[in-house]
Amino acid sequence: MRLTKLLERVLSAIPVAIGVAVLAFMFLRFLPGDPVEIMLGETQVTQQQIDSLRNQLNLDKPLITQLALFLAGVLRGDLGVSFVKNAPVVKLIADTLPATIELTMATVLVAILIALPVGIISALRAGSIVDRSVLSGALVGVSMPAFWFGLLLILLFAVELKLFPTSGRIAATMVVDRTTGFMLIDTLLAKDLRAFGVALKHLVLPAITLGVVFAAVLARVIRASMLEVLSKDFVTTARAKGLREWSVIIKHALRNALIPALTVTGLQFGELLGGNMIVETIFAWPGLGRLVVSSIFARDYVVVQAAVMLYALTYVAANLVVDALYTLLNPRISL
Amino acid sequence: MHRLKWLLVPLAALLFASAYAEKLTFVLDVAENRSDEGQAIVAQLQAIGIDASLRIWQSTVLKEEMIAGNRTASATDWGSAYFDPFDLAIPKLRTKDRGNYSFYSSDVVDEAFRVASTSIDDSARAAAYLTAQRQILADAPLAFGYVLQNIEASSDSVHGWEPAADNSENFHLTTVDGSDTLVIGLRTNALVTLDPAMYRDRDNEAFLRNIFDALTIPTADGKVQPHLATAWRVIDPLTYEFDLRPDVTFSNGEVLDADDVVFTFDRILTEGGIDGASSPRAGLLGPISHAEKVDANTVRLVYKNTFPQELVLQALTHFQIVPKDYITEVGVATFTAAPIGSGPFVYARGALDAQVVIEANQTHWNGAPKLKAVVWQMMPEASTRIASLLAGEVQIIQAVPPDLVERLSSVPGVSVHTALGTRAYQIELNNSTAPFNDTRVRQAINYAIDWDSILTNIYRGYADRLATPFLPSGFGYAQDLAPYPYDPAKAKELLKQAGYDTN
Repeated sequence: MRLTKLLERVLSAIPVAIGVAVLAFMFLRFLPGDPVEIMLGETQVTQQQIDSLRNQLNLDKPLITQLALFLAGVLRGDLGVSFVKNAPVVKLIADTLPATIELTMATVLVAILIALPVGIISALRAGSIVDRSVLSGALVGVSMPAFWFGLLLILLFAVELKLFPTSGRIAATMVVDRTTGFMLIDTLLAKDLRAFGVALKHLVLPAITLGVVFAAVLARVIRASMLEVLSKDFVTTARAKGLREWSVIIKHALRNALIPALTVTGLQFGELLGGNMIVETIFAWPGLGRLVVSSIFARDYVVVQAAVMLYALTYVAANLVVDALYTLLNPRISL
Repeated sequence: MHRLKWLLVPLAALLFASAYAEKLTFVLDVAENRSDEGQAIVAQLQAIGIDASLRIWQSTVLKEEMIAGNRTASATDWGSAYFDPFDLAIPKLRTKDRGNYSFYSSDVVDEAFRVASTSIDDSARAAAYLTAQRQILADAPLAFGYVLQNIEASSDSVHGWEPAADNSENFHLTTVDGSDTLVIGLRTNALVTLDPAMYRDRDNEAFLRNIFDALTIPTADGKVQPHLATAWRVIDPLTYEFDLRPDVTFSNGEVLDADDVVFTFDRILTEGGIDGASSPRAGLLGPISHAEKVDANTVRLVYKNTFPQELVLQALTHFQIVPKDYITEVGVATFTAAPIGSGPFVYARGALDAQVVIEANQTHWNGAPKLKAVVWQMMPEASTRIASLLAGEVQIIQAVPPDLVERLSSVPGVSVHTALGTRAYQIELNNSTAPFNDTRVRQAINYAIDWDSILTNIYRGYADRLATPFLPSGFGYAQDLAPYPYDPAKAKELLKQAGYDTN
């Protein structure tokens, strides 16, 4: 029963992806700006050269034909070739996605490490100075521009204290063979612990930049739902049974309070996997966000279409995983 | 009914007054990177009674709007790959040319441009460019602006390097104290490709010039020098002949000869010549027909129309010679992943959106470079480049924003270097419709903008005023042609003559 439900949910992602692909296709075409004009730059070009390039990229065909060609390609699993980079889109995304996933994982880890204890303590001491400073700290965290915060971290921890590198994924002079594209895994596969350490250090500042903002949101959610749960009868019952306080909080209260936090985390995970253009730019992090934004500016339709489809699928998948986790936390919830 | 009559009197008076003289009203469009400058200009125009307002755009969108003729005044910039007005002033101002967003048209200028881009007599070309500049200055089709300098910075441990006008990075003679590896922080988000036929942008060229050689090479200030070609001669008005250096090999040992040169130009000039794709570089070569081999060390370039020798030599600096046998054998995809060239460095490894590494070519015909390796780090954010230079992670950084130069210059151990730029910045006025179809109004705008104060305050003096879109580094530049001075009184007078109210 559960498996068929799961399969149903997975299959329902397909029309979503196609719908999103069509929308992305249309929106991009309505966006002013001509990819051929941008590609040819400021050279002396003849009209014949412009026409020929347009023809090669199928941009001279009617919109509906272009859409049909695109969808036919999608169904065959062929997402096309980037206009600008003259490389298959699948390869471009596969090249950048691991960097973004790695940063996303680290970001979520940082956020949970901060938000979980802070949220719990603040709920337990509701109304105290600690609680109020957490709440105002969270407000600052949410309002802080990532751009500003990232540069601040770089200036303090990389330039002044020299604790972490300013940017990039690995030291300029280090050679790491690309197997999985995940720097932490690749350095381990190469049995190069020094490189692993260096890669880890590179991950710290961008993960904190993104993680602190997310932690601010998450801590408030955890605090609110903990407060609600702590006043529930079953918590009182647990306490009345004489259970140790930490056991009441962790086993009984937190487990139930985590459901809203999980929802927020799932959505945030989906968003982070799209790549954060600003943070990736500041930290020279070669992720998906930079690829997509530079492709939008170049009107490299093929890349953007594929990325938008990927985003949609990521959200669907993140939601699905969150729903599946609900059932683990609370068996009364079913898919 | 009776009462309404009283209302009509002031209304009529208002209508009469506004028909008699109204303020010059227009919107100044700028791309987001020039919004500070736009605000300053609008304030200056308002000060002399022009009702100007500012609108900020994403540059691609603005460009399309301009091409469609929907805008009246837009800030633009246009770069030059030649040290010649051939691909800057000409496409910007020749009637109906590709970059002519102002819809300017002048028979005098068109004729001068025709001579300058086809004559093989340099003095005739120089005279034609002079005529064009004078006419353009008088007609004021644009609000003429400035050229920005290239500002780069390096650690003081770096020797034998200087920034170049065309953003090249030449590391052949560079050394770094205490290290055999140099790291440079590039301004670009990502290199586009490693195939010298498949890119258009400067950053990619700056990189590829280190692993490939071209027939000619530019100096840092844009003078053409022999490189793979040692000598050249004019065979007839349509044919140039080049002697190739006989002792050159690619880094895989393959000898570089006339076949490789012909192959390089063939794949660029043939439509769909690169596995079905066309090179976006063909336009840079001018009206070329084809390249042909004379013997192993001699090639000819044959043109469809006469094309000046200086332009041919300038163009050749942009075409890196690729190995015919290697590409034929392994295919374009493998070549693009593992390029083989004859340049001073050999491609080692990397990812185009993160970092690429090149290593010294020990057998380069011009001697091996002193460095063992150069790492090219993509660092699209200027503040990060600067932080990275200060932290000692990189030794050279590109594109320092003018407002951060001061901070950087005060740090010991770091120096800021500048080179002439090759982009002209201006405000394009739509000459085809009111109000800018009136020469007096266009001239008035030129008198009304205080460029010197903008260049000093916003660009911190790292920009030079231009009289026209002709660059001082280019061929045929009229040294003695003064730009429009800042003269608000004169601007007001011209506006009055054109029938505008300036109070």
